[in-house]
Amino acid sequence: MSNKKVKAPEAGQWPDKVLIPALIAGAALTTIGFLMAFLWAAPVNGAQLSEPVLVGDVMVTHQQLLSQKIFYFHMPVAIVSFVALVFVAYYAIRFLSTRNQRFDTCGRVAMEITLLFVIFTMVTGDLWTRFEWGVWWTWDPRLTTYLILMLIVIAYFVMRGAVDDPERRATYSAVIGIIAFIDAPICMMITRLIPSSIHPVVLREGGMTPDMAATVFIVMAGMLLVAFGLYRLRFRQARLAERVEALKEQLED
Amino acid sequence: MVQPPSTFAQYRVLLAKDLRQEFRTREMLTSMGIYALLVIIVYGAALALIARDVDIVTMGGGLLWALIVFTSLLGLGRSFAHEKEQGCMEGILLVPLDRSVVFLAKATANILFMLAVEIIAVPLFYFFFMTGQPAAATLPAIVAPLIVGTIGMAGIGTMLSTITMNTRAKDVMLAVLFIPLIYPLLYACVTATTAAITGNEFWMDFYIMPLVLACGYDVVMLLVCWVLYDFVVSA
Amino acid sequence: MNAVEARHLTKAFGTRKAVDDVSFALPEGAFLSIFGPNGAGKTTLLRVLSTLARPSSGEASVAGIDLKEKPDEARAAIGMISHAPMLYPDLTAEENLLFYAQLYGVEDPQARVSELLEAVGLSHRRLDPVRTFSRGMTQRVSIARALVHDPRVVFLDEPYSGLDPHAADIFDQLIESARADREDRAFIMVSHDLAKGFSMCTHALVLARGRVVTYAPKEELDFDEFSQLYRDTVGMGVA
Repeated sequence: MSNKKVKAPEAGQWPDKVLIPALIAGAALTTIGFLMAFLWAAPVNGAQLSEPVLVGDVMVTHQQLLSQKIFYFHMPVAIVSFVALVFVAYYAIRFLSTRNQRFDTCGRVAMEITLLFVIFTMVTGDLWTRFEWGVWWTWDPRLTTYLILMLIVIAYFVMRGAVDDPERRATYSAVIGIIAFIDAPICMMITRLIPSSIHPVVLREGGMTPDMAATVFIVMAGMLLVAFGLYRLRFRQARLAERVEALKEQLED
Repeated sequence: MVQPPSTFAQYRVLLAKDLRQEFRTREMLTSMGIYALLVIIVYGAALALIARDVDIVTMGGGLLWALIVFTSLLGLGRSFAHEKEQGCMEGILLVPLDRSVVFLAKATANILFMLAVEIIAVPLFYFFFMTGQPAAATLPAIVAPLIVGTIGMAGIGTMLSTITMNTRAKDVMLAVLFIPLIYPLLYACVTATTAAITGNEFWMDFYIMPLVLACGYDVVMLLVCWVLYDFVVSA
Repeated sequence: MNAVEARHLTKAFGTRKAVDDVSFALPEGAFLSIFGPNGAGKTTLLRVLSTLARPSSGEASVAGIDLKEKPDEARAAIGMISHAPMLYPDLTAEENLLFYAQLYGVEDPQARVSELLEAVGLSHRRLDPVRTFSRGMTQRVSIARALVHDPRVVFLDEPYSGLDPHAADIFDQLIESARADREDRAFIMVSHDLAKGFSMCTHALVLARGRVVTYAPKEELDFDEFSQLYRDTVGMGVA
């Protein structure tokens, strides 16, 4: 058995072929969504004005919220970041049941994507907070949840850097990944359900009009494709680096 | 000659060992107790100028929990030091026993140590900061969130300190993982504690719901830790 | 029945193989010494055989019990003495041994512990905390700890590290009496000390880069040839 050639880590086969088209399609869809958000989707009414004014040819009775356009990007990135976290948990479970290093790499890369999109969410959310509520930060349940999630994801990477043995590092990462996945919704639930005079539930739960829904859908599809493309790109790179290491070791033998 | 003892018997043996060791050295209790006192002194300095103008009672819940979080962090970080030092953890893993018993025993020991420190620290906190005004009739109700919070923190803290005992910069690592993960529990417990301390007519609204949610957090997180502990401790 | 058996045992993560396709069978009552350069996978092999680490592939059994299928039964048959004593420094010798005896579920733990403390010659210090003991004495308590559940197989991982010659002699005698104590008890020792390991063993195994280079009963080996072979292996390991 020892004379059998050791299988070196391989990068995925078919997903790598669709990687570039996926990235391009994702970028295109996101751009279309961006244009739709500004040019097509109807503006959302804010506070009622003291008296109607004529803007262009339209009689306007409410303050028009341009800042609301952030929503078309904020919500999709927030959802994509959670989708990435679902994959982290999935790969963590796969790793714990198979002990295959490949799944550790998958989980790590998925966590990197999570971090990227959580940061996007924080930035868009914070812009929203600034323009809509006039403050840079508020302990709003969703923002808080994402802040906590971001800290957990950062802690995940700090922890990875502090463990030397690769198998132990992979196991710990998988466990933290699963706990993060469970902790995030609990955090959201607890911060939302607890009534508080200091932290009013400020998010309006208005329904989405069809044009809004269509725009959100397109941006989300674009973002998902971008996330997938980035994931594969990064995974391929990490996997090839592992392959180089493995081949080096084989040469030493 | 050897017959496998019951899981409960093993749990008792493990717990008794932790308690006996602590009873002999008093390492955890003294360090946590002194640390709690020091945090109170820091609060004293921090609030020195505003104590008369600000209603400390409404801040009491938050300050108290900050004290508890930092104090438990200290204790949790030490809880596996002895197991690691002389290889005792491996000695325990060589014994035929369910790994989750190790978790339950250690978590129980941590709960007991943390509660012991709270029994001293909470009255001290009250004595230093809250005797200015008459206490609310609902004050004794803070016991429930204290217990629920302590159980959850000890559970997840035991899990995390098992991980961090094998990492570099253990203590910082524990804090980095621990504080974000217990944030929901902390939030719920602070709300419930504050409600009990202020005790106005609507206090129940801010007390029951957070307490129920905190219990939910405890149940979910303890279950997850219990299931995943085998992987962590055998890694 | 073989005391310890390994079949194509491999411990790998990714492509790095700490133990690579190790197979051997050790008869009951034998004493196996495992030699090899640093990083050859000796300790990892011992950890896999003692259920502390799980193999990536292959099978192993201890006292005829498969490690994968019945880990708990196998654990009951395994004792381990390592360079770390696995004792709590703040507890007394007796408390430490009682702790392990109760965890293993030994019948009448108190009597068993007294008997063992007598055997390792530490009855007079039984109420002293282990932190007051010298390295040699601690290691003697460690022998008692490993034997508390009367294991069929005892693993020794560099047990001599930190022992002075006198303490090492006492340790030797205790191991000898542990061998005499129970006929079918087998030992596996990992050691750097070629001469010592060779003199104690009935079987010798040389490991390099996780693979078995030689495995033979001592009768078939000549010490000089063996040490030459070992030096070649070490050379290979360093390259």
